[in-house]
Amino acid sequence: MASLRRPLLSLGRLRHRPCTQHSIRFYSFHPSPDPAGAPASSSTTPTAIADIPRPKATLHTLRQLYKKQIPIATITAHDFPSALAADQAGTDLILIGDSLAMVALGYTSTNQVTMEDMIHHSKAVVRGTKSAYVVADLPFGTYEASPEDAVRNAAKLIREGGVEAVKLEGGKEMAVTIERLTRVGIPVMGHIGLLPQRQAALGGFRVQGKTAASAAQLLEDAVALEKAGCFAIVLEAMPAEIAEIITKRITVPTIGIGAGSACSGQVLVQLDMLGAFERFVPKFVKQYESIGVKTRQAIGKYVEEVKARSFPAVQHTYPIKPEELEKFKVKVGSD
Amino acid sequence: MASLRRPLLSLSRLRQRPCIQQSIRSYSFHPSPDPAGAPAPSGTAPTSIADIPRPKATLHTLRQLYKRKIPIATITAHDFPSALAADQAGTDLILVGDSLAMVALGYTSTNQVTMEDMIHHSRAVVRGTKSAYVVADLPFGTYEASPEDAVRNAVRLIREGGVEAVKLEGGKEMAVTIERLTTVGIPVLGHIGLLPQRQAALGGFRVQGKTAASAAQLLEDALALEKAGCFALVLEAMPAEIAEIITKRITIPTIGIGAGSACSGQVLVQLDMLGAFERFVPKFVKQYESIGVKTRQAIGKYIEEVKARSFPAMEHTYPIKPEELEKFKAKVGSD
Repeated sequence: MASLRRPLLSLGRLRHRPCTQHSIRFYSFHPSPDPAGAPASSSTTPTAIADIPRPKATLHTLRQLYKKQIPIATITAHDFPSALAADQAGTDLILIGDSLAMVALGYTSTNQVTMEDMIHHSKAVVRGTKSAYVVADLPFGTYEASPEDAVRNAAKLIREGGVEAVKLEGGKEMAVTIERLTRVGIPVMGHIGLLPQRQAALGGFRVQGKTAASAAQLLEDAVALEKAGCFAIVLEAMPAEIAEIITKRITVPTIGIGAGSACSGQVLVQLDMLGAFERFVPKFVKQYESIGVKTRQAIGKYVEEVKARSFPAVQHTYPIKPEELEKFKVKVGSD
Repeated sequence: MASLRRPLLSLSRLRQRPCIQQSIRSYSFHPSPDPAGAPAPSGTAPTSIADIPRPKATLHTLRQLYKRKIPIATITAHDFPSALAADQAGTDLILVGDSLAMVALGYTSTNQVTMEDMIHHSRAVVRGTKSAYVVADLPFGTYEASPEDAVRNAVRLIREGGVEAVKLEGGKEMAVTIERLTTVGIPVLGHIGLLPQRQAALGGFRVQGKTAASAAQLLEDALALEKAGCFALVLEAMPAEIAEIITKRITIPTIGIGAGSACSGQVLVQLDMLGAFERFVPKFVKQYESIGVKTRQAIGKYIEEVKARSFPAMEHTYPIKPEELEKFKAKVGSD
């Protein structure tokens, strides 16, 4: 077939482009009608290149980013609005992390979250996601007892939660289990280094891989997980040099958190990087916003205005025809 | 008893004060340890008047505000962080609204939310609330069929959800049901005017009470609900003059939304007043923030920096002793 002349920037090429830049897409959802009858705004008709939705990311998309050495941007989400924001901002991979146990639900430990909780929140995240690839954490206790347990719960999370892949914690001791999952077609993201679900056994939250022996163990784990079929591996809280060597030694992407910039991608907990809480966050969390303070101040302003009766103002209220008001007053007796 | 001289501003007087001003309290929750070992801040020892926690609001507190004509500030919350923010900002009453169906879970209608959903989210809200009074919506279908249904589900919501009172929609047709609830000690917040759960039957979201007949019906409903034992009533989307007359005619507080400033209090959906979504909101919603835009921009900046490998930077990573790194490299072979 003779080569066809194509415009430099055709729509077809745009649709196939990997997510190399973030794009703000116009996303119309559940238009909320005004009780007074004004039409709600809707429509997803693109009016600019930025409006053209990204195609849905697949494992192939992630593979392409990895091959081209384009960092894979990952973030957690725990409900519809957090997923919407992450997706619209251009995130490649959205993780429904069991971190939602503490940040969204207020449990005192990650390990209190149940399968039902994870399924419920996964469904909400999936409703808010159009383009990013979606992975959910298998919660503590749902995959450790046996490979059969892991398969059943992973299938449940995918089928009922609507996610595309699962993540579970552990190194080579999980290889048999992971192999069972990947062999029956369940994509698995591995997780080594600091393992939050095991923090009790590890003596609290500690940086991993600081000694040669510990680092060698991590490399062994990474190689075993790759062999078992993981499509990517999260490296948490280890020295950057160790993460770099691991990244170079395997042929699947590493997604780092507190593991330095040489990883194939990065992940953070959304509510932490948004500054949702006035609490101590680990040094590897960069806070890009101070949402907690701003939210509290906005609500504080509302409370102030309610107390002062300055909200609602006239523009926030509905009128009534004077004759109807008079008729009503007559009907019920004036006060 | 002879009168005692007291300091002008004693601690006990502060503790008894109603919530007439917003107070930003220091709230220590689940200190998150740094993997590198730095101590997390903790402790609720007050260091200033602003740090003294408000006492837990009760029906008596709300009654006191009503008697003194101090507007009752109400807002919705749907999870732990939204409850925390509302509580810390000085909200008197927190409502776990079934509006969470659309704003938090991404359902296409309020009526898709289940009892299990409401219980789950109520528990998270309660974990984040220290001082505000907490009410939860009984979802569509859980209280209409019979008073027995209503009692059973209200009990579930209070016992399993941990909330203190329930809200349900409807006028005098709900009086028998509400009386059954209040007679067995379940506090009920009524709701008349625009009823979101009934929007299909009402022909969409329409302002109520615009005719003399319709307004008279609303007044009749309000009186019936007061008689049935409601501790307060939500008035939604009606002319301010009608809401004012209703408020004057009954002896329990009215909490308005789109009903003008003469009500005994106000309520708004938190995610709407925070500007979480770029969608049309009804005219009675004042947006005190633009959280949706700010969240998306913050995540966008994070993605940019991940793609540019400028995040993480040095300060976000963990070091390793050079000798351990050398030992490791020797162990695994240099690359």
